Parts: sequence; C-alpha cells; structure tokens
Amino acid sequence: MIRRRGNSALPIFFLLTFALFCAVVPRFASASNLEALMAGYAFIAIAAMGESFAILLRGIDLSVGAVMALAGMVAFDASLILHLPGYLTIALALVLATFAGALNGVLIVFLRLQPFIATLATLAAYRGIVFTISGRQLVPELSTAALTDPWITGLDAYFDIGATLGVESISLPAVPLSFLLMIVLLVLFEVLLRSTRFGRDLYATGGNPEAARLAGIDLRRTVLIGYGLSGFCAGVAALLLVARLTTSTEALGNGMELTAIAAAVIGGVRLNGGAGSMWGPVIGTFLLGVVLMGLTLFGISQFVQQILTGAILLAAIAHSRWLQARSLFRHSAPEAS
Amino acid sequence: MNGSALVEARAVSKVYGLSTVLHPTDFVVVASEVRGLVGSNGAGKSTLLKILTGAIAPTSGQVLVDGEIAPPAKPLQMLRRGLACIYQHSNLVAEMSVLDNIFIGRQPTHLGLVQRKLLRQRAQALLARHGMDFDLDATVSTLSTVRQKEVEILKALALDARVLLMDEPTGWLSVSDVTRLHATIDGLRSRGVGIVYISHVLDEVFDICDAVTVMRDGRVVADQPIAQLDRARLIELMVGKTLATQAFDQAHDGVRRAPPTGVPRLRCRALTKRGEFHDVSLEVHAGEILCVTGLVGSKRTELVQTIFGASRFDSGTIELEGVPLEFHSPRAAIANGIGFVTEDRHRDGLMLDLSIAENLVAATLSRYRRGLLLAGARIRATARRLIAALNIQPPNLAKPVRLLSGGNQQKVLLGKWLDMQPRLLILDEPTVGVDIGAKAEIYALLRAARDNGMAVLVVSSDLEEVMTIADRIAVMVAGRLVRTREACETKIVDLVRDMGAVPA
Amino acid sequence: MTIGDRSSSLPTLRRSFFKQAAAFSATLGAAASAWLAETDPQSASVGMRGALAADGSAPLKMAFIQWQPHTVPAAWSKGIEEVLKDQPQTQYKLLDGQNKVEVQVSLMDALINEGTSVIFLQPIDSVALAPSINKAKRAGISVITLNIDATAQHAAHVEMSHYYGAMEIARVMGEKMGGKGEVAILNAPPGIIIRDQRTNGFVDGLKKHHPNVKVVADQVADWSRKKAQDVLATILNAKPGLSGVYGVNDSMALGAVDVAKEKGLLGKLVIFGNDGEKDALESIETGELTGTQYTDVFQQGRFAASAATVLASGQVPATAFKKQAHLLMPFVIATRENVKQIQPSQRW
Repeated sequence: MIRRRGNSALPIFFLLTFALFCAVVPRFASASNLEALMAGYAFIAIAAMGESFAILLRGIDLSVGAVMALAGMVAFDASLILHLPGYLTIALALVLATFAGALNGVLIVFLRLQPFIATLATLAAYRGIVFTISGRQLVPELSTAALTDPWITGLDAYFDIGATLGVESISLPAVPLSFLLMIVLLVLFEVLLRSTRFGRDLYATGGNPEAARLAGIDLRRTVLIGYGLSGFCAGVAALLLVARLTTSTEALGNGMELTAIAAAVIGGVRLNGGAGSMWGPVIGTFLLGVVLMGLTLFGISQFVQQILTGAILLAAIAHSRWLQARSLFRHSAPEAS
Repeated sequence: MNGSALVEARAVSKVYGLSTVLHPTDFVVVASEVRGLVGSNGAGKSTLLKILTGAIAPTSGQVLVDGEIAPPAKPLQMLRRGLACIYQHSNLVAEMSVLDNIFIGRQPTHLGLVQRKLLRQRAQALLARHGMDFDLDATVSTLSTVRQKEVEILKALALDARVLLMDEPTGWLSVSDVTRLHATIDGLRSRGVGIVYISHVLDEVFDICDAVTVMRDGRVVADQPIAQLDRARLIELMVGKTLATQAFDQAHDGVRRAPPTGVPRLRCRALTKRGEFHDVSLEVHAGEILCVTGLVGSKRTELVQTIFGASRFDSGTIELEGVPLEFHSPRAAIANGIGFVTEDRHRDGLMLDLSIAENLVAATLSRYRRGLLLAGARIRATARRLIAALNIQPPNLAKPVRLLSGGNQQKVLLGKWLDMQPRLLILDEPTVGVDIGAKAEIYALLRAARDNGMAVLVVSSDLEEVMTIADRIAVMVAGRLVRTREACETKIVDLVRDMGAVPA
Repeated sequence: MTIGDRSSSLPTLRRSFFKQAAAFSATLGAAASAWLAETDPQSASVGMRGALAADGSAPLKMAFIQWQPHTVPAAWSKGIEEVLKDQPQTQYKLLDGQNKVEVQVSLMDALINEGTSVIFLQPIDSVALAPSINKAKRAGISVITLNIDATAQHAAHVEMSHYYGAMEIARVMGEKMGGKGEVAILNAPPGIIIRDQRTNGFVDGLKKHHPNVKVVADQVADWSRKKAQDVLATILNAKPGLSGVYGVNDSMALGAVDVAKEKGLLGKLVIFGNDGEKDALESIETGELTGTQYTDVFQQGRFAASAATVLASGQVPATAFKKQAHLLMPFVIATRENVKQIQPSQRW
C-alpha cells in the first residue's frame, strides 16, 4: 500500500476548481455541459490511464496517439471495406492495439532501447502504416462515408439516468457510455495495481529496477504487459472517439500522448517511476477538461488556455517535488559502492 | 546437518574487459557456520558475493547449491534455492511500504489477488521472532538510513533462507544495533543457516565469525578458522606480508620530515553539513600530502566535494591561504586554483568519447583561446608534452579515452588537473581500478607535485596506499574526523583501530 | 440548388461590396421564399434560436471554428467581423480547432451549450464533424461551413468554387500551353473533399477544352511549399519533357516556381496555383507564377456573415431548409494580364 497523502491535494483542488467554474461561468453547471465534459474527456482519461502504466515503469509511451490512429483506421477498414460485424471489428481493433503497445515493450526489453526512443520510433512507424492502410485513400468514396454499424455507434450511447432514477425536478446529465466504461476500467486497473502481484511487481520495477531484479521479479514480463496495457487503453480510447466522430481520420489522436502525459503528471504519477495511481490521471484529465471547457465558455482566448494548462502542469510538478522533499528523512541513504 | 556444504563456488572468475577482478576461486558456505570474508577495496569480495547470489554471471566456473549446478545470473533461482543476501547498496523500493518491500516479488496470492492479511500476519510474526518493531505501512523513503538497513535485514530474514550473505551490513548501525544483529546471526547459525559476513570492521569479524576467508587482488590468500588468527596476522594477510612490514617502517623511510610552516594552503574549521559530516577541522600545507582515510560511508567524498564547491555546507569556514572563501561552484574553485580528481572517472572525470588531447586540456581551455576559436596547434603541443611526461599509452593524441586501460585513463585525468598547476589538488580514490605499474607512476607524480610546492589532499580507502604516499593521515568515521597523525608516527594497525572506533 | 456566378474573367472586380451584398441577399431572400413554399408547416413553427435578437433582448452569439491559424481563415474571420460589427446585438468570436478533430467537436459542444445562434465551421474532416452538426441542428443552431463541406445537411456552405474554378484553370492553362503538352499535378493529402473537387475539376476541364494536354504525374506534396520543391524536382528527373505544373494550392505552386527558377525553366514551365494568396499574386506580377484562381476571401467571409444575419434574424428558421444552400464564390483566373486589377485591400 502506498501512502496517498500526496494525492489528497488533487481531488480537493479539482472539486474547488469545479465549484468555482460552476459559480462563475454561465451555463457551466447545466446538464448539457456536464454531458459534453464527460463525453469529451472520458476517452482521454482512458488513454491517460494507459500512459500511466508506462510512466509507472519508469518509462514513457509516446506512441499512444499513433496506436489510436492505427486502431481507429483498422476499425474503419474492417467495418466499411471488409464489412465485418461490429463485435468482430471492435475485438480486432483492441487486439491490434494491445500488440502495438506490446511491441514497444519488445523494443525496450529485447533491443534494450530507451522507452523514449522506442516509442518515438513506433510513433513514426504506426503513423506511416495508418496512411498506408487508410480506407479513405484506398477507396476514395469512403472518405465521405460514415460508420453505421450498431456495435460501433452504440459506443456513443448516452444513458438517461434521470429517467432511470425517476428524478424529475432537476435535469440530470445523460451519462455517456464512454464515461461508464472509464469508471469500469479505473476500478479494474486500481485493483490490478494494488491487490495483485503483477501490480506490486510493476511498482517495484519502476521504483527500483535493480532491487526488483534481485528479488527475482521477471522484469521483461512486467514491461511487456505494462506497455501492452498502454496499447489496449489507446485502442479503447480510439474506438470511443471513432464512435463519436462516426469516422476515423489519418490524424486521429495527434498529440494525444502529450495530453495523456500531462494528465498523468498532474495526477501525481511520478515521471521517474514507481509512484502514482489510476485515480491521478483520471482526475488530472477532468481537471484539464473543466478548466478548458470552462474557460472557453467564459470567453477566454485559447492561447491563454494553453498558457494556463502549462501553468497547471508546472504547479503539479512543483507540488509533487515539494511533497517528495518533505517526506524524505533527514539522514541520507547508505552510499552505493 | 552441521558442516555440510550448502553453496559452493568452483573456480569462478570475473573479467571486465581488460581487467580481471576475480581470479578463478573456490568458495564454500557451510551450514551452521559464520564465515567472514575480508580484504581491502577491490579485493574481489563483492564480486564473489554477486556471483553467488546470481546478481552477475561469472566469466568462468560454476556455482553449486546442494551439489547441483545452479544456472548463472538468475537471482530468482538462487532465491528459490534459499540464498538470501543483504547487499551493500540500498535494495529497497523507496516509494513502497515496509510490508511490500519485505515480501517483494514473493507475495502469497489467492486467485491472483495478494493475500493482504496473511502477508501482515507473517510480517508481524517475523518482527516478534526477532524482537523488532516497525510501522509496516510506513513508506521506506520516510525512514532513516538505519531503519532502512533494518528493513533490508528483515527482507532477508523473511526468506527463511538456508544461506545468508551480508555485505557490510553494519555500516550505519549503532553499537546496540550491531549487538542485536549479532544476536540474530547467532540464532540463525544455531538453526543451521550458513552465513557469509563481509566487513571491514575487524572487531566484528573477530566477534561473530567462526572462520574467515581473506582475499587480496582478486584471489583468496587464506581460509582459516578465526581462532588461528589474531588481528596483526589478519591485517598482514589482507595487505600483503612484505608490504605490511614495509608499511610499518617505510613512510619517509622512517625519517621525520621538517614540520610545515606558514599559513596552511587549506584550512577547514568546524565544517558541518547536516546529514553528512560534522565539525571537521583539517589543514593542508603547501608541499604536503594529507591522506584522509576511513570506511565506506564515512562521508569523505562529501567533505571534499564541499571543499571544491560542488555542494554547500551548513556551518564552519574554509580558508585558502588565510582568506576565508566559500565556493558555490566548481568553476569558482578552479578559478581559485583548486583541482579535483573525482572518484568515478567514468561518470564525472573524463569525457569518454573525446580524445586524449581534448580531455587533457579540458580544465585549462581558456589558455588556448584565440579570439573566438581555440589554438589547435598549442593544444596538441601541450597534449604531446603531457602524454610523454605521464607515459600515457598508447601515445596517440586522437584516441578516444574510452579505449584506454584504467591506469592510463586515470593518468589522463591526473594530467588534466596537474597541468592546471593548482595550488591545492584534491584526489578521491586516485588508484581504484589501476594496475600496479600505473599506480607507482601516479604516486611518483603526486610526490613530484608535492615537492614543487603543491598542497595535495588525497581521499583513500586503500591503507597500503595511504601508508605509501602520505605525509599526514586523517581518519574519518561516520562524518567526523577522529584523528590526525604524522605518517612517520603511524602504523597500519593504528589506522585500523581508529577506523573501527565508534563515533562519540 | 446552387446560386452564384460560374465563372468570370470580367475586369469588374471593383464591384462594391454593398451592391454584391444587396444582390446576394435579394437572391437568397427570393430563394428562401421559394424554399419556404416547399417546407413542412410543422417544422416551420419550430422555434428559432436567436429570434430574440429581433426584439433586441439578448445578444446574438456567433462563432467561427477554424481548422488552425492560417491566412485563409484569418481573412474569412476579418470579412465576417466587418459585417457583424454593424450589428450591435451580435457577439462574435474566433475559435481554433488546433488541427484536431476532437477539439473541433468539443468546441461545437461548448458553443451549443452556450446558446450560440450561428456557427461558422471549417471542418477538419467532413464526416467526423457530421454528428456535431446534427446535434447543433437539433438545438436550432444554423451551421455555415466554409470551403469544406460536411456530410450532414446544414444551413449553408460557402466555398471557393473548387470544381468549376479548377475547370477554368485547366482551360486557361491549356491555352497558355498552346493546347498540348504534359502536365504534373502537385496534390494535397487524400481524405479531403476539396482535393477531389480541385483535381477532378482540373482533369475534367482538360478533357473538355484541351484533350491533347496529358496529366503525366499526380503526387502528394502535403499543401507545403517545401515538400512541393522536393516532389517536383523528382518528377522533373523522370519527365524532363514536362511543360505544365498545377499546384492544388498556391503554396505548392510557389514551390514549383522555386524549382523552376533554380533549374532555369521559368520560361518553359507553365505553372498554376489555386487560392489566390498575396504571395501568389505578387509572383504573377513578377512573371514567375503563370496564374492562379483568385477568390476574394474577405468577400467570402462577408457572404457567410450576411447569410448568417439573415438566418439569425429569425425570419428563416434553419430547420426550415429541406436542402442545404450551396454558395460558390465568384472567382477570377488571375494571370499577368489581369492581376493588377486585384486591389491591395482585396489581397490576403
């Protein structure tokens, strides 16, 4: 169990910010805006959770956006060119995304590449593959075709919880399926990290790889699975986004890796590995979402928004560093020989 | 079974590139026996240990457990066969709890989920059995170094091992902690565990060990029950008989040198840095070599790094020729005529991919500036001169330093600083990983520099070296300077005693 | 139904804004009444957001979501602002899609929540923005797309007359080439409708007017001047007999000009671009670029804003349209002969 003293600041900050925006910005607390917030950021939160696996392992995954594009385009081709049934398309895209992520692990473990370099290489490779297999270029008529398979479009469903709960007085937001899916994954991953041996091994591998090795932990297996999970999450995020757009583009997920990393870091996942939880990236994502959507509604220019995002990121890192320094005991650790 | 061989190393050796760190060696760990493993720095003890635990693979030879050959370099296999090890460096995952660290990699699971309650029960039983007290949920990084070391011990004990290996386990422990540890070891021994105990602190070796293996320069030179040895003999074995006797009477050939006069080149008064060293006062005069020695963990490197300006201190003063100075950066120190030959030449001394010439002029580049460019011809001339003076092999200006032998690399590093003609030259472990021939050359260079009026401050764990080159010797223990003596009045035995002393 | 001039080599680009606007609004009004006659009476009664503006209580909100910062959307925005600033009740803002589809979708959501009346949109992808456009329509918001159409029906689409303009380019270019020769196309990355329109228009135009001019190469140069340099250099190696180059946008055409200058082929290669940027026009004046399709982009913005004001005034509900309005901007194939007539204030 890792003491979560550090993380308690984040949920509080998030709630305060949320309350602030509700109070100050018109129509922020409306049902439709909350729906937009959930729908717009749930898939990003899932990608951020995936990225966190890589960061916890003291690595990084720069290929998240490219894997998303790959999964999205595979889904597009499978559905519109090969006319595969929806459930098969979804399964195919997810399996492919997981393997694409695991390939990063292979490069890191067997070719001894640094994670930054390995995932940078796959980023370029996957983006290239996406262009090659792009259904919109292979069959130009498809560039104006929308995905209609019910399994896929069903991913963009909304649940009217107001009606289900019988609440009539206030209009509750309709909860998107993507948000519910995110919650399911959040719970599953938290259990994985905290209560399975794999989770403990993951923290050990990221926190002190040499200690983990000497304790007999299979570093290779841990890294491969960790990056595979990152790919899987990218695949889920891709499918949710594709459902929302009813199409996939070659540039899908461009820059998503940076957003995911920012969300994870804001969420308290330490860049040098071994510390953090799945709650962090989720709250971090929605914090960014609340700030950005709130500022847009408030009329603040997007350039200022980007500056503010950077400021939040810096503040999060500074806070994390301060906590680290404060908790370290006075005596230094024994010298390494 | 008493006396049966639990783990056996047969003709294991380790070669790194050009240097043989461990010559083919046999080693046996026997049940119900505490075997001490002693030797000076670089003797090969840690290497042997790492081969036994599977942390590294031997270049040749095998390790057998219960008579069966174990696969090399597989820590998990050795753990499964009942070998536990407490390494010298910290092997804990700082951000995880004590409980998690104790059972790292081996948590009992049920249907894939870790059985938390069972884990906690086992841990508490372990604590009770060994009379220790711990907050199992504390994050390791919040514990003091001493407590962290205890967690490591607990980790090894939790394995219920048949063989326990320990590399310098008491570096940070207080007297009462050491007593407690020895009591634990006693208990384990009576239960049939075979224990290997590496330590510099000879008192401890004599206290707890049944037998001792002495290593020197990568070989085993003795292997005897402790009862057959006394301290003097042990030291002789560690350091080498002829050298030991030499050392007793060699310093300055027994001639007392003239005491230095005048304002000391360097004077530190009550220098303190919280958590590192405390109330250190020393002086180095021009034309003198002061050696500061002590065990690993005595914070000598931290002290000299602070003098050089690489880190700050909390209180006290540093004076350079009477002028109180505080350097906040190495650049300032260099500008004031202080040079620093670092401990790890690979990490922060040499630029491995650059050539010999480029490394030699690295500290004095300003001399070669011509407008915006560097005068290549002058650099080459200087490099050639230094290569000849220091006998650097191969004498090829453009050769990348990475490709040189350890001894030659160290000479390049030394050449860089000597050419700066500093007023004070600080060296941290100057002959680690250097062959005998180069060692002698380096000693000669240092003596020559000293004779030319340079003040030289050497940090060294190698007692043989200290006795060879020092004019004065200072001993540090756990961040305090306990004693300073004239070298001609010192015997190795005195140093060893000082180093094993418990800080006040 | 299509409104607008199909082609014009008329030297009368100096038509004043008000005349055009009046003419346009009149035609739109007439067409609107015609459309209304076809409408379902029930849908006509659906409340139109923004009808409030007529009685002046709450300000009308309008916003433009661009693809990413560029001269073209900047000029559109300027044109829109010019028209809207005369309307005291209207608030207008420019939002950046940051070249990401999901950002545009998010911004659409935000604007819908905010109670915007009219959204100008330059979709990054025609299909991906369709669900958002449908959502806006359901909320009673009029969506006007600029240059890039979307697959969901919306209020109006104002474009640079991609197809017919390209056809005209083919015609003029063929003349300059003397009716025969080999042409290379420097193209945009696939996946955008505008690419197909500008390419097909060109190819059809050649077929119709100059069947002896053959397209011998069609390579992607990513809308970029630098990429076009590399691509054309490669093509020239393979086809040294090339006599014409058509860059699907001006940047790529200017890249072709760079290569031609370097290889001393300026006199021999006929190079045409598409868009009508300031740089392109200057290049034509100095005799380097042979020609381009020029559209007054400010005007395009103004037209869009005029359409918006009509829609937002509440007289014509967006949901009342059965078919989407499709406005093709008047254009001119600018060549050395007529480029001077394009005024500095019209250059972007």
